[in-house]
Amino acid sequence: MSTITAPAPPPLAPSPGPSIAERAPKRVISPERVAAASTLLVIVGLAVVAVAESGISLPGMIESWSHAERFFARVGSITFPEPAELLYLTALTVGLVLCGTLLAAVISVPVAYIAASNTTPGPAWRAAGRFITVITRAVPDVVLAMVFVLMFSIGSLPGILAIGIHSIGMISKLFADAIEQIDEGPRMAIRAAGGSKFQQFTSGILPQVLPSWVATVLHRNDINLRGSVVLGYVGVAGLGLEMSYAFKSLNYSLGLGIALVIFALCVAMEIVSSVVRRAMLGIQPSGRGLGDRVVRGVTDARAARSSRRTDAARSGAPTSGPGLASTAASGDLEAALRRPWTGSRVRNTVWGWTAVAVVVGSVLICDIHWGDLVTFWAKVPAIAAQFWPPSFGNYEASTLVAAMGATIGIALAATLLSFAFSVLIGSLAARNVAPNGAVRSSMRLVLVIIRGVPEIILAIVLIVITGLGSQAGTIALAFGGIGLLGKLIADSFEEVASGPERALRAAGATRGQVYASATLPQGRRALLGHSFYLLDSNIRCATILGIVGGGGVGYYLLNAGQGSNYAVVTTIVLMILATVLIVEGLAVWMRRVFR
Amino acid sequence: MSKASVIEVAGLTKEFGRTVALHDVALGVQPGEIVVLLGLSGSGKSTLLRQLVGLETTTSGSVRVLGEEVPSLGGRRLRALRSRIGFVFQQFELVGSLTVLENVLTGALAGLRGPRLGLWAYPRRLKLVALGHLDRVGLLDRAYQRADTLSGGQQQRVAIARALMQNPEILLADEPVASLDPESSDQVMNLIREIAMEAGLTVVCSLHQVDLALSWADRIVGLRHGEVVLDTSVEGLSKAQVMEVYGRVATSTSELEAITVELAESTQHRTVVG
Repeated sequence: MSTITAPAPPPLAPSPGPSIAERAPKRVISPERVAAASTLLVIVGLAVVAVAESGISLPGMIESWSHAERFFARVGSITFPEPAELLYLTALTVGLVLCGTLLAAVISVPVAYIAASNTTPGPAWRAAGRFITVITRAVPDVVLAMVFVLMFSIGSLPGILAIGIHSIGMISKLFADAIEQIDEGPRMAIRAAGGSKFQQFTSGILPQVLPSWVATVLHRNDINLRGSVVLGYVGVAGLGLEMSYAFKSLNYSLGLGIALVIFALCVAMEIVSSVVRRAMLGIQPSGRGLGDRVVRGVTDARAARSSRRTDAARSGAPTSGPGLASTAASGDLEAALRRPWTGSRVRNTVWGWTAVAVVVGSVLICDIHWGDLVTFWAKVPAIAAQFWPPSFGNYEASTLVAAMGATIGIALAATLLSFAFSVLIGSLAARNVAPNGAVRSSMRLVLVIIRGVPEIILAIVLIVITGLGSQAGTIALAFGGIGLLGKLIADSFEEVASGPERALRAAGATRGQVYASATLPQGRRALLGHSFYLLDSNIRCATILGIVGGGGVGYYLLNAGQGSNYAVVTTIVLMILATVLIVEGLAVWMRRVFR
Repeated sequence: MSKASVIEVAGLTKEFGRTVALHDVALGVQPGEIVVLLGLSGSGKSTLLRQLVGLETTTSGSVRVLGEEVPSLGGRRLRALRSRIGFVFQQFELVGSLTVLENVLTGALAGLRGPRLGLWAYPRRLKLVALGHLDRVGLLDRAYQRADTLSGGQQQRVAIARALMQNPEILLADEPVASLDPESSDQVMNLIREIAMEAGLTVVCSLHQVDLALSWADRIVGLRHGEVVLDTSVEGLSKAQVMEVYGRVATSTSELEAITVELAESTQHRTVVG
């Protein structure tokens, strides 16, 4: 009570004694915060320099547009492979990606279990789980594919293993996050009833995390399909391989045709996975975009029809429902043992078996040489000897370091460009920021369209059109980044608590003021996290761009791989690994300091 | 009515789809009056308060506040009116990741041009005023802490300081102590009353506890199902009389029980640990 019996308020009478400014505590800013802010400034400064260096300019872009026109005039028409071959290649690509993603999903379950803070057996296990997560994510799938192509010769197994192992990183991370977010109650109940650890997992955790896990796997599957193109450049069968052959033999019309097919495939896969998510998980279309509206319209109509049907059934049937008392008779218990085939059960069963059929089909189409899995072990020592110890080979150390620097530069420039556009588009796409529904919907649509374009395809096409170099790669990465970062920003802004925004509106603040003082501060941490995530993914992606001709260290990686200088490959991979780990460490530190 | 009313509501109806939140509500508040809106949850108290600052649209009726017809306002003029009315929320609605001082300063945004990012973006003059208000609510020493490190009662006092930043003529409070423990609750209610007396503020505060309302307000306006069922000075009013009014309008014994339980819980607040 003592606090509220303070003397009269300051505006009325200037109080004697020390003034407010003197009595107010001094603001203390921790040295760590200063250090983190300075680091952030340095990173942003480097990114600004990188953008300036990349030579991206409006006149330049207009010039490359005229390049593009001339290029398309030269190419003439776009051609596609034979229909039968095209169908086979498409099925093979999809099957390979599915197998790889599923492999990763299966391996990720135990990894996530030991990495999640609430299920891990101990700190050492947790560290091991985290290590697997970080390492598998840091080694690009292209490098893995190069290694596996050596071990297994050409075929589908290298691709599956490369996708499978590389995807463990992201999938197990998100799986572990989901485990950490569960309601502990059900698990505790099972433990209290004497359930084993495994039973706690299957009955207490799994049912809670399954929807999120399925969504994660589907999401990763989309990413892998986009990434599978590049695997073709290092010899993994499928559409990517055919496209790389076409471009290498300067058959641009066929190459562009295949690129178009891959693009369509990515869009189709995204639609399929969104439908699957809806059907399997009961995630309601939340009523934002056009697609959601269509789906909702269809389901509403169906629901209305089925409810009419049940009404009719109810009015027709006698009303002696299976009450608690009537189930006492043993005959009724027998009857109750058979679960009735309700509409939802039929639907679930059909979907389940369809999924099984798709997986079996994928395995069959991949035509996996299972024998290889047994025989390859014999080759491991010889291959390992080729990769170790790392060396710079015929290159000067400075050349490779400069190339790595160029890759980091591309990633930084692309991230900064994406960030600038994403904050603008993403904010306007958030319900609580957009001035009206029309702006919000159109911004969401822009983001959906951008996300639909696989950046590797975009990069390949840009490189083919404008020539080799980092500029095409930077533009492609920056463009793709807007789709990802813009959506993440929009979603996290929509998730901030609306109360403070309402409070400021009630105090008469303008839309811009509410945004700056309530929305941004609450979304700050997410903004930082998402930006570092994009930087992290851009560094990997910039490496891959080098492989298709986008400049940077990827070019040397591909050369070393094709020239069998595997010791150089190891060196480059170690450099990438170190960079990614540093960025990851910085991100963790920043998120902790700028809570 | 000797003086002009600062709040003049007539025939106000608000519908959300098919549910009627407010039905033909009339309310006049004189300058300097301290009024409690009393009612169960869902009786329309919050909706009525939000109507007064145009946070929700009106279905029909007239809402005049400080001489302005609120439903007809928009944009700049609505913001100008809002800046003259302080609003305190049940859940405080501070930005947890900002410092206490910056949260208080956001109350002054309506008087400033453009968005403000960070403490440095506010003039020194306003910072001094804000520190003064923090001193008034007894939290000067917490000025540079993050708002989410404070307890619930402290956060609500910061929210009051934020409202004071507006130099308000009216203070609206929507269940300001429903999320607080009894002790913080007393502190906050006393603080609002004292500040209102010092600055001659008009206060409209919604509550659901009869005891608290009787000991705190000058006048009680009882709401039930969106209609005004009671409007009287607390002078000589007893809890039994209030309960009787609610008893008369209750449509069933179960509703009467619910009213009795909810209105009597003045010593058993739901608490939120801040």
